[in-house]
Amino acid sequence: MKFRSLAKPAVAVAAVLSLSALAACGSSDDKKDAAGSGPTTIDVWLMKGSVSDDFLKRFEADFAASHPEVKANVQIQEWNGIGTKIIGALASKDAPDVIEVGNTQVAQYSASGGVKDLTDKKADLKGDDWIEGLAGPGLYEGKQYGIPYYAANRVVVYRKDLFAAAGVTPPKTREEWLASTAKLNTGGNQGIYLPGQNFYVLSGFIWDEGGDLAVKEGDKWKGALSTPEALKGMDFYQQIQALGKGPKDSDEAKPTQTDVFAQGKVAQMIAVPGAAELIAQANPALKDKLGFFPIPGKTADKPGAVFTGGSDLIIPVASDGQDAAYTFIKELAGEKWQTDLAKTMKYVPNRTSLASSVGADEGVAAMAAGAANGKATPNSPNWAAVEAKNPIKEYQTKVLTGGDPAAAAKSADEIITQALNTK
Amino acid sequence: MRTRLSRKITLNVLALGVFAFSVFPVYWMVLTAFKPTKEIQAETPSFFPTHVTFSHFSTAVHADGFWIFWRNSGMVAISAVLMSLVVACLAAYAVGRMKWKGRQAFILMVFIAQMTPWEALLIPMYVIARDTDMLDKLPMLTLIYFMMTLPFTIVTLRGFLNGIPVELEEAAQVDGCNQFQAFRRIVFPLLAPGLLSTSLFGFITAWNEFAFANLLIIKNQDQRTLPVWLSSFSNTFGTDWGATMAAATLFMLPVLLIFLVLQGRVTTGVAAGAVKG
Amino acid sequence: MALAEAETTTAAPAPGTGTPVPARRGRPLWARVLPYLLVAPTVIGTAYLLVYPLVRNLLISVQKFGIAQLIRGGAEFVGIDNYRAILSDDKFWSVVGRTFAFTAINVGLIMVLAILVALLIGALGKWMRFAVMGGLVVAWAIPVIAATTVFQWLFQSQLGVVNWVLVALGFEQYDGKAWFADGNSTFAIIVLLIVWQSVPFAALTLYAAMTTVPKELSESAQIDGAGSVKTFALITFPILRPMFGLILCLEVIWVFKCFVQIWAISQGGPGDATLTLPVYAYQIAQSLNRYDLGAAISMVTVLILAVVLLAYFRQMFKEEGEL
Repeated sequence: MKFRSLAKPAVAVAAVLSLSALAACGSSDDKKDAAGSGPTTIDVWLMKGSVSDDFLKRFEADFAASHPEVKANVQIQEWNGIGTKIIGALASKDAPDVIEVGNTQVAQYSASGGVKDLTDKKADLKGDDWIEGLAGPGLYEGKQYGIPYYAANRVVVYRKDLFAAAGVTPPKTREEWLASTAKLNTGGNQGIYLPGQNFYVLSGFIWDEGGDLAVKEGDKWKGALSTPEALKGMDFYQQIQALGKGPKDSDEAKPTQTDVFAQGKVAQMIAVPGAAELIAQANPALKDKLGFFPIPGKTADKPGAVFTGGSDLIIPVASDGQDAAYTFIKELAGEKWQTDLAKTMKYVPNRTSLASSVGADEGVAAMAAGAANGKATPNSPNWAAVEAKNPIKEYQTKVLTGGDPAAAAKSADEIITQALNTK
Repeated sequence: MRTRLSRKITLNVLALGVFAFSVFPVYWMVLTAFKPTKEIQAETPSFFPTHVTFSHFSTAVHADGFWIFWRNSGMVAISAVLMSLVVACLAAYAVGRMKWKGRQAFILMVFIAQMTPWEALLIPMYVIARDTDMLDKLPMLTLIYFMMTLPFTIVTLRGFLNGIPVELEEAAQVDGCNQFQAFRRIVFPLLAPGLLSTSLFGFITAWNEFAFANLLIIKNQDQRTLPVWLSSFSNTFGTDWGATMAAATLFMLPVLLIFLVLQGRVTTGVAAGAVKG
Repeated sequence: MALAEAETTTAAPAPGTGTPVPARRGRPLWARVLPYLLVAPTVIGTAYLLVYPLVRNLLISVQKFGIAQLIRGGAEFVGIDNYRAILSDDKFWSVVGRTFAFTAINVGLIMVLAILVALLIGALGKWMRFAVMGGLVVAWAIPVIAATTVFQWLFQSQLGVVNWVLVALGFEQYDGKAWFADGNSTFAIIVLLIVWQSVPFAALTLYAAMTTVPKELSESAQIDGAGSVKTFALITFPILRPMFGLILCLEVIWVFKCFVQIWAISQGGPGDATLTLPVYAYQIAQSLNRYDLGAAISMVTVLILAVVLLAYFRQMFKEEGEL
């Protein structure tokens, strides 16, 4: 058949090219040993942005040296279309051996039956110490499918020089925050750059008021955006959002908020501490002018609630190198590399006892302070479906562009309720 | 005299409007690709290149595996188009030049095939590919793109064929050629430009496709195609508009080049076929 | 340059061309089998790559089929439950209605604009014609993914050039206007995008067809005092009617099943403002992972489209039958 004869050389060429590309990166020989005596090759999917190139190189070199029996082939995956792709991988006969999945997504994969149950490894990984924001979502019906990998939560990244010029200091309460942001929002500067659709930030405000995104009543879920508490959270979001020029119909990715910040006209933005690196990269002049503080809470004694973002690692049932995959996970989720990762990427490590070893980085300190009040999205296998076509983002935009909050919240609730109760 | 002049002016103004409307989005894309990030995010956009930078193109070209994906896409698109041309050519000849039972049903089938909402077939296609060990393989994508383009190729080729007087073949047959020889010596040379231009549509379809390429190429990253790569420019921290526009420009380039060379013939072919009806 | 050639290469099909070789009685066996051999690859390809997946899709639509069934197999047969669930949902019917409206608006605009542009091209001088056709080709050639990205960029609320231009023209209320926040404006932008992408094909094809209409006919009509509108209605349109039919049919198909543009720009939102049938099917299948419901919706979509085009098929059959 024609296509075969055409495609074969393509495969060959692609393979040769990729080999040479790998070799050029300083990675070791990529030949697979067909014989049983050689190392087991495993494929690992990490998400784009979860590790830096430097960290990956260090880790790979160390792993190759200490585990010659395993040849790990790490591939960086794109977020776009990843849900479909992971499902495709879990359902395939030849799945990758380790996959990083977002902590809001892991439940749906656990529930599907395509992920290996790792409950018996929990002790070996010192799992009693795992942070709840990652271990909880990885748990499904009493079994541990997802192994905590790393976490991060949002803080306020601010411009020290602009704060000084306006005569304000990092606020401790919401009132102070509104007041100082209003002061900063003058003379062509934006007090805060908060895009209209940052629903993780909104979630924090809602939790502060005692509300939630959705609640479980018996075995039924119910969207909770239209509760008075949640509406109060949205009201505050609207107040603070108005003190800058964040687009009302877009999220932090469009346009890239770090790039907007790097323009030098923004006093604050809400992001993970790692974003500071990107700002400094885009505009080196700002490097020493960046500071961090936890998102202010309702009262000064407690910082605002934050969404604990992060990832878990899973091993697909269809993986043919499950033992080798576990070896890999044990290294990456173990003390040595967790400490390194947290320092390099400004993450929260996967175990609470490791937090102290991260050091006195200003951003990490602010994050750790906020993390004390960290929360997760509703733990349902269907939550990923809610995020896939996010009714919360639409709700935010509707309110910010003058819609009736109660009505908009109600229609968003209906979608959430329906999605969470789909069997 | 006066009215004729004003008519001419109106026409040309309208024409300029149509031209500007057609070209502006593309112009804006290319312009953005050459602008420094600072200027892209400036409050006041500039409509002409002031500070030209190639850094976005360099970001795009130096992204991992750029050339591999480029090659994969080219390979898949070209093989799919070639297959569909050969197969469609045979079918178009049978439909346009022969009388046989089931011809109408066949034409109906081609039209219905044209209506398939392909996104709906993602999961069945995935299951079929998995069960026949065709996951992670470019040939599977090639086959799917072949099928996506086949119906339209048949419709258009039939149009071209109908534009070629049948008397030419009959004359050749009178001169002792058999039907195949008549086709090869008379029809094929006349059909060749049509074949070339019909391939455009197929090429664009295959070149553009994202959903199947994303789902069916799972583990083997070196088999990914350009649209999947293009989507990678929206990363965790957001969309890099400059690099995205540069990537989109590079992505558009081959199609645009082929188009500028071939387009006149495509429309002519569809026109000729349909006028005949 | 191919653009300039468009006119000259248009071979006006002489009357009576393209008639199939008449069937002769007592043809040898191979000659009778030949047509079937020639269409065999198409039929086989379609059977395996289209009919078979469609049958699998049909099968999925009568099963309970989610992620678990995709991964582990063992889907359970549920009969027409999925169809019942869909057809009894008001949302489905509002999506159907919207899909028809969406198709009608788009195709209407495309056809009208394409005819006007085609007539315009015909009336232009050589250089202007070259420029307009070149512009159309550029708009036509830009890949869908690139085009949707550009449109999102044009209408971006803070940095988008459209808002900037509107503000510069004195419409202050467009400062930071969030186009994609509102259902109607999102709908309008998607229509604009699709029309922008579709008019070139239709206009260029129509123009090519118009050049095949003998000049004498329209000239004599004009001598008889008919204006250009009348000439078009009385001479050009009737001659090119099958042509309009084909383009109309293709545009209906293309717009009706249009997916990428809508999904990339709005994913059917905000709310359900741009949710059409193909997008709805994909959304249910890929976001909710209800592959069974998605399959049922897509089967109904194919059916609806076939019914819509039935009239055209009958017409086509009548003409084919005359051959």
